[in-house]
Amino acid sequence: MVTLGIDIGSTTSKAVMLKDGNEILASSIVIATVGTDGVSRAIDNVLKDSRIAQEEIGCMVATGYGRQTYQGSDFQVSELTCHALGVHHICPEVRTVIDIGGQDAKVLSLNEQGRMVNFVMNDKCAAGTGRFLDVMATILKLDISQLEVEAAKSQKPANISSTCTVFAESEVISQLASGVEIPDLVAGICQSVATRVASLARRVGLKEQVCMSGGVARNAGVRMAMARELGVTIVFDPMAQLMGALGAALYGFEKSGQQGK
Amino acid sequence: MAVNELFAQLHEAAASPKQQKEKYLAQGRKVVAVAPVYTPQEIIHSMGLVPMGVWGADMEINEAKKYYPAFICSIMQTILELGIRGEYEGVSAIVIPSLCDSLKTLGQNWKYAVKGIPFIPMTYPQNRKPDYGIKFTKAGYQRVISDLSVATGAQFSEFALAESIKIYNEHNKVMREFAEIAAEAEITAAQRSDVFKSAWFMLPEDHTRIVKQLNEELKAGPKAEGKVRVLVSGILADSPSLLKIFDENGIKVVFDDVAHESRQYRTDVPDMNNPLDALAQKFADMDNCTLLYDRDKKRIDYIIQQAKQHDAKGVVVLMTKFCDPEEFDYVPIKRACEAAGLLNLNIEVDRQMVNYEQAGTMIQALKEMC
Repeated sequence: MVTLGIDIGSTTSKAVMLKDGNEILASSIVIATVGTDGVSRAIDNVLKDSRIAQEEIGCMVATGYGRQTYQGSDFQVSELTCHALGVHHICPEVRTVIDIGGQDAKVLSLNEQGRMVNFVMNDKCAAGTGRFLDVMATILKLDISQLEVEAAKSQKPANISSTCTVFAESEVISQLASGVEIPDLVAGICQSVATRVASLARRVGLKEQVCMSGGVARNAGVRMAMARELGVTIVFDPMAQLMGALGAALYGFEKSGQQGK
Repeated sequence: MAVNELFAQLHEAAASPKQQKEKYLAQGRKVVAVAPVYTPQEIIHSMGLVPMGVWGADMEINEAKKYYPAFICSIMQTILELGIRGEYEGVSAIVIPSLCDSLKTLGQNWKYAVKGIPFIPMTYPQNRKPDYGIKFTKAGYQRVISDLSVATGAQFSEFALAESIKIYNEHNKVMREFAEIAAEAEITAAQRSDVFKSAWFMLPEDHTRIVKQLNEELKAGPKAEGKVRVLVSGILADSPSLLKIFDENGIKVVFDDVAHESRQYRTDVPDMNNPLDALAQKFADMDNCTLLYDRDKKRIDYIIQQAKQHDAKGVVVLMTKFCDPEEFDYVPIKRACEAAGLLNLNIEVDRQMVNYEQAGTMIQALKEMC
């Protein structure tokens, strides 16, 4: 049976086509979200790559920021549940998931069965999210993908406020003006995200193994800063950004089985 | 009367306090505004005045910003905003208690910002239980009586107060019964909220009459099934957008520890010779509220006990933004929930909230965890 999971995030749309709740047939990440053709492009991509016809999809599950407004899915499931399912499928030993997306950050606590037993979300604030990194990259005139490269060159990470994106923006501009090197600023920015989210992780109660998911997990600078901040090894899988969509596809498989589809 | 008609009446009162105020004024009654959290409504009622709650509104704050920084309770800011905008026109006075630091500033700012409506302070003691605390409370009530007489010309009598106390005690009883019946009845979170909210805008005797009928109808009506049962805690839980998320996700409020709701009705005025002494004793007897000083934090055990008693799966804390007392209490609540095996959510709310996406995700995730 084929199930399709779509994760409509605040900055990207992701899709995963799954066969029999196990085999990933195709996946796609499109940088476009709610109110754009991002979702349909992501779906078209996985249909094309998997060579599966739309009619063959047994169940479609939407998750993420745009899940409620997307028409056409069989179920709408919170991204918290989907990230828990996705991460447990790929890394079954993980007990804490740190999901940093474009607009929010969440920390999930999983039990041995991979069931989410507790979670916390960030305050209504861009600090400690992908948006924070976007704003900083724009100020430094870097592409978001260059951040981890620059952070790796740092000798002396700058101290950046972890409390507010707006204040941090002025801080970065002041530090640029006073001659702080860009790699040191980028390392400081990554550290700032890690510090902010690590406090959430401590709130939920940190249990190893700890995994990062979501788009920001792709940034090695943030991952390393998080590992330092929490004093643990951070598990990372290249599927990190697709964990929500994968979890949605898994949820669809589970639900279809229950309904005898 | 059918359940839907009773709910419709209560919804109308809850949704249109200004209309209620105009109705009382048209009847020749004098209206006195009562600010959060506890005011001696029995005294106001006994003097022939109509006490009406003012807990702010979901709105943009402009005028009140002249008096407040951004980082202060929005309930209080919107009360002042409505006052400045003239929404309380016709009200004879406002009684503002001193139960938190923010409320103290509301009274002081009110005097300058809203000149047409006299501010009457109700200063409560921090130590409310010892004899000297009870005497202090009584002195505060005497000040309220004196100020009300000046502001409205109304007279106080102990006999009338004793009668009003009976009416309020009866209302408390009926509201407590409603809370228990509502835990099992097939009603929405929005309907439950309407019952509590409308109480602030109606005379207690009128509200009691309707809720009594409602209780009878609900007892005989269908029971809620297949819902995720939660206890809700916080200062305020009346946002229609938030309540809609509860209902859409099949979340059933089986009990509340909300200042605007059940906390008002837990304690009756005891039977004593002097009604003013009895009213002061009531304040001394009150407990389990963030705003009532308790070094032992018995409130935490109370919440857990009520959650278990009502078979709740979890506790949802609706955290009023910038409410320091509630924020201090959240940490032990969270720990106690975890120890008791109860799920818990902390959802930040305020009067200027327009985006409920994050709250929706958290509530949906809670449902999915059950």
